[in-house]
Amino acid sequence: MTVTDTPAPPTGPSTPDNPVLQARGVTMRFGGLTAVKDVDMHVNPGEIVGLIGPNGAGKTTFFNCLTGLYKPTEGEVRLQGEVLPPKPRAVVVAGMARTFQNIRLFANMTALENVMVGRYCRTSSMALTSILRGPKFRREEEATRARAQELLEFVGLGNSTESLARNMPYGDQRRLEIARALATDPKLILLDEPTAGMNPQETKQASDLIFRIRDSGLAVVVIEHDMRFIFNLCDRVLCLVRGEVLVEGTPHEVQSDPRVIEAYIGGGDDEDEEAPASTTESTEEQQ
Amino acid sequence: MSTSTTDLTPDHDDHEAVPLLERMPGRGSAAAWPLALVGAALLIAGSFLSWSFPDDVLGDLSVNFYPNGLQLCVVALGIAAVIFLLAYRGPLSRLGDWLDAASALRWIGLGAVIYMAATIIAIGWQTGAILNVNPGGWITLIGALLLLAGSLMLVSRNTRDPLFAKTSSWFEIITIIVLLALVLFGAAYALGLEDAVSFALFLLFAGMLSMALTKAGVFTWLGVVSQKNRQVLMFGAFAVAFLFPFTQGGSDENMSIATQVLIFAATALGLNIVVGLAGLLDLGYIAFLGAGAYVGAILSNSAFATIGWKPPFIVVVLIGALVSAILGLIIGSPTLRVSGDYLAIVTLAFGEIFRFTMGNLDGNNGPDLTNGPNGIPAIPDLKFGSFDFGQPHEVFGITLGRFANYYFLLLVIAAFIIFVFIRLNNSRIGRGWVAIREDEKAAEAMGVNVFGLKLFAFAGGAFLAGMAGTVKAHHDVSVTPDQYIFLESAFLLAAVVLGGMGTVAGVLVGATILKLLPEKLRFIADYRLMIFGLVLVLMMRFRPEGLIASQRRKLEFHHDDEDLAQRIEEVHLEEAEAKA
Amino acid sequence: MTEFLQQIVNGLTLGSLYALIAVGYTVVYGIVQLINFAHGEVFMIGAFGALATWTVLFKGQTGLWVLPIMVLGAVLVSVLTAVVMERIAYRPLRGAPRLAPLITAIGISVFLQEAVRLFYPGAKSKLTFPEIEVVTGSALSIGGLQIQRAAIFTVGALVVSAVLLWFFVNRTRLGQGMQAVSQDPDTAQLMGINVNRIIVIAFAVGAALAAIAGVAQGLLNSNIDFRMGFLAGLKAFTAAVLGGIGNIQGAVVGGLTLGIAESMATQFIPGQFGGSAWKDVWAFVLLILVLVFRPQGLLGARVVDRA
Repeated sequence: MTVTDTPAPPTGPSTPDNPVLQARGVTMRFGGLTAVKDVDMHVNPGEIVGLIGPNGAGKTTFFNCLTGLYKPTEGEVRLQGEVLPPKPRAVVVAGMARTFQNIRLFANMTALENVMVGRYCRTSSMALTSILRGPKFRREEEATRARAQELLEFVGLGNSTESLARNMPYGDQRRLEIARALATDPKLILLDEPTAGMNPQETKQASDLIFRIRDSGLAVVVIEHDMRFIFNLCDRVLCLVRGEVLVEGTPHEVQSDPRVIEAYIGGGDDEDEEAPASTTESTEEQQ
Repeated sequence: MSTSTTDLTPDHDDHEAVPLLERMPGRGSAAAWPLALVGAALLIAGSFLSWSFPDDVLGDLSVNFYPNGLQLCVVALGIAAVIFLLAYRGPLSRLGDWLDAASALRWIGLGAVIYMAATIIAIGWQTGAILNVNPGGWITLIGALLLLAGSLMLVSRNTRDPLFAKTSSWFEIITIIVLLALVLFGAAYALGLEDAVSFALFLLFAGMLSMALTKAGVFTWLGVVSQKNRQVLMFGAFAVAFLFPFTQGGSDENMSIATQVLIFAATALGLNIVVGLAGLLDLGYIAFLGAGAYVGAILSNSAFATIGWKPPFIVVVLIGALVSAILGLIIGSPTLRVSGDYLAIVTLAFGEIFRFTMGNLDGNNGPDLTNGPNGIPAIPDLKFGSFDFGQPHEVFGITLGRFANYYFLLLVIAAFIIFVFIRLNNSRIGRGWVAIREDEKAAEAMGVNVFGLKLFAFAGGAFLAGMAGTVKAHHDVSVTPDQYIFLESAFLLAAVVLGGMGTVAGVLVGATILKLLPEKLRFIADYRLMIFGLVLVLMMRFRPEGLIASQRRKLEFHHDDEDLAQRIEEVHLEEAEAKA
Repeated sequence: MTEFLQQIVNGLTLGSLYALIAVGYTVVYGIVQLINFAHGEVFMIGAFGALATWTVLFKGQTGLWVLPIMVLGAVLVSVLTAVVMERIAYRPLRGAPRLAPLITAIGISVFLQEAVRLFYPGAKSKLTFPEIEVVTGSALSIGGLQIQRAAIFTVGALVVSAVLLWFFVNRTRLGQGMQAVSQDPDTAQLMGINVNRIIVIAFAVGAALAAIAGVAQGLLNSNIDFRMGFLAGLKAFTAAVLGGIGNIQGAVVGGLTLGIAESMATQFIPGQFGGSAWKDVWAFVLLILVLVFRPQGLLGARVVDRA
């Protein structure tokens, strides 16, 4: 871990010297439209940070800035002090993995193969090694398989390793996506609506899993619509409205902030604010 | 482990057969089985009798009790029918627990009827009178009709899934060896058939028998077996290919076809890396073969070679492959920005640019490198030390001619390409390719080097085609630009599509069909391109994954077929268990 | 200067031809996001349709009055081919992976070329296209420029077709249905528009224009050949991409641009790499450059994600 040379982040109660992720002044404009405006965010090691906000608040755009799909118009994103290049692959190599809001598994591969693909960037066998099959290749292949198996067991899919991803139940697919992301050995994992479409029991399992991921030493960022889920899960929550950070604080602070309630259709039952599947955001994601 | 190369899905769907079955009177009647048995017996008996009065139609069919090859085919159908009948009811009924004998019998019956009808028509037509058909022919036809009628009345038994049949390994290995021997024997026999009608009849026989075995579920079982005994199968297949020239008794005619098939297959296998594994459509692939061939020609001892340097052939092969690979890198570089249809057109354009350029570099339009449209003729045969590829050689008393010499060399190259193909497929790189095919953006977001892998597919495929090209130059004696037109690229692509994207066996089958059939079926020669176009359209419509499909490709082409996905998972689990 | 203007004239002629064919690619793409690579053969079939009409009905006639009937014959044959092609080959593949329609298109191309070669009498070699009064014959000389009569027909055909097409798309119910489907097929379907019918119409419109181009090509070259669709189709496709595929005005602009660029390149690229020997190479180079660097086209109306 390199020590950051940036000054301490401006907000947040607990601020160790070296946050895993540090986004500063991220701004994203599409033509005249400013989708994300001057967003600061930091994530400390072993922390679960939630990102909430009504539809069209710019959550997904911000997310895409973090994961390298977009190059922010202004501002920078640092992972462990290093500026992240705006290329998805480089971001993964640097140590930040993600899942997708609308599951994007490799549908016709088995669960095990899906996770093994996640190991791609941490392995190095190239053409000649693969053709000649020396001891190095065998060792690496064996290790890849073992690690993938281990991760599948970690997320609770140890018995479905040979199932085709497309045949798996919805909840399992979500977990498989997390296992695949974990296979890239990330320092931080970004979960894009991990409980979308889940029933309460699956949601409970999901939050258990996220806690276990955190306990294994990773930092986690979660985007969610399900308020109850996120307030139970996160150490800290950012509420994004119209592309700007409206409130940042502990779940309790955010929950009781009148501005947040205001933003979510001016009141009442924000907890059940299951926004209809945000089509605008998913198209954004397709670029 | 990532892809199994055979098509194991049994056809649960008797879509075509069912309506006919419902209408068949006497379905399920007790007479069905004996009727079919009588049919099978007549089929065999009739084949031992004379079919035709003149002795010069379709070989000699006129002698009683001395069946020729075409008649033996019917005997084989009859024996197969008897075996399936005994499996349906009788001493072999344990076999019938696993195989759908009734379906197989229907196809054998149908095949026999078509076969006999075609034979009788051919005899009548070629001799000018249907009277020239002897009783044997009619008896066999009646046998075929009875067999078909009886089998249509049979009701399929509930069978267990042959996928889960457990058989002892020695039985499996013997089956593989017997099958390979049959393939060798069948190929040698078929190639020996001089006249096109006999050849077509033999194809009909082989096709219908395979169809029957497929319907019975034999291939489902064979798929698992071949996965389990892959080494045996591969070694055996190579041995068969190696032995093939020895069956030809020094005849150059068939060996010439066989070497062409091999060149074509080797190139198509290279293309299959690009198309089948990496999922990139390359419509200019023939340019890589051409680049190799031009390098081979220019650095050869031909008097028309434009460069004075004459390195040893092994160096030429490497240079040819490298030049090709560099071209591959250039052609592949747009993949950074372009994909899908546009990429296909870009590759097509590169292919055409290659051809035009080769046709232009004659000294008047640009430097003199290729002699323009005339190309480089009079390329001498290869010589490895004292071994001259142009001269026939005696091995075990069997003469192996010029083409046989090239055949062996090409066989080595093809084996090398297959080796590379399989190893790449089952590796980290292969997984990356599948991921890219499945979801490029997700692959990139999971850290797969998408651009690098695509580029590598282009360069690697081109490298292999370039190798084949250097040999092709010597084999063909001359290299001209018009050997490398777009249509040739389309042919290569067709071999891949027809056979099965992403499988080795499929491409070998596809290449053989595309090169062999036009050579043997002279009467379709003029229509061959039109049929080729039609076949492409029909394949995409009805079986886009190809004849011998990779499971994964099948899934990709049928992305909303849940049952298929379940089925393939079962097969996958079974294979994984068999291999363990 | 005269040389330059002459090349502009040649380029406009060539470009009009490309534009007429390119419309077919663009109209179909706009509606089903399918690139019908067999469209070049529809153009070729049109030319043969015109020749067949002439041979059967008016053999020996050279009066201008036969031209409209030849065009009608060409349009009929081309439209029929395109509609059958859509119905039999493309429609079942909707929703299939991109590879499938592309390979199908190659199959159709080969099939149509071969069908014409085998079954059109004498088509194994080049066939002479009839001379028609007024539109063929000695070139006109205007201010030092040589202008072929057929060139005037070609440009005129483009202008008339473009006006009619504009009217069709913007002023008729069917045309508006087409626009609706191209913008949002699902909603259009819900609004009661028969999407299948609109797709057939799109194929038919494209085929009609390609047929006219086929006649123009026959008049310009005074012979036709079963292979003529391949290169023309590819170049027209380039034109469609250049203009922004899916964009009808774009197809016309792209066609004219490509035609002029090709004429200029043939005339003005100096040295050994210039001239007619390299003409097609430069056309393909341009094709690659357009696809790689400007896939959204010059006008870029429709954003294309070709992933």
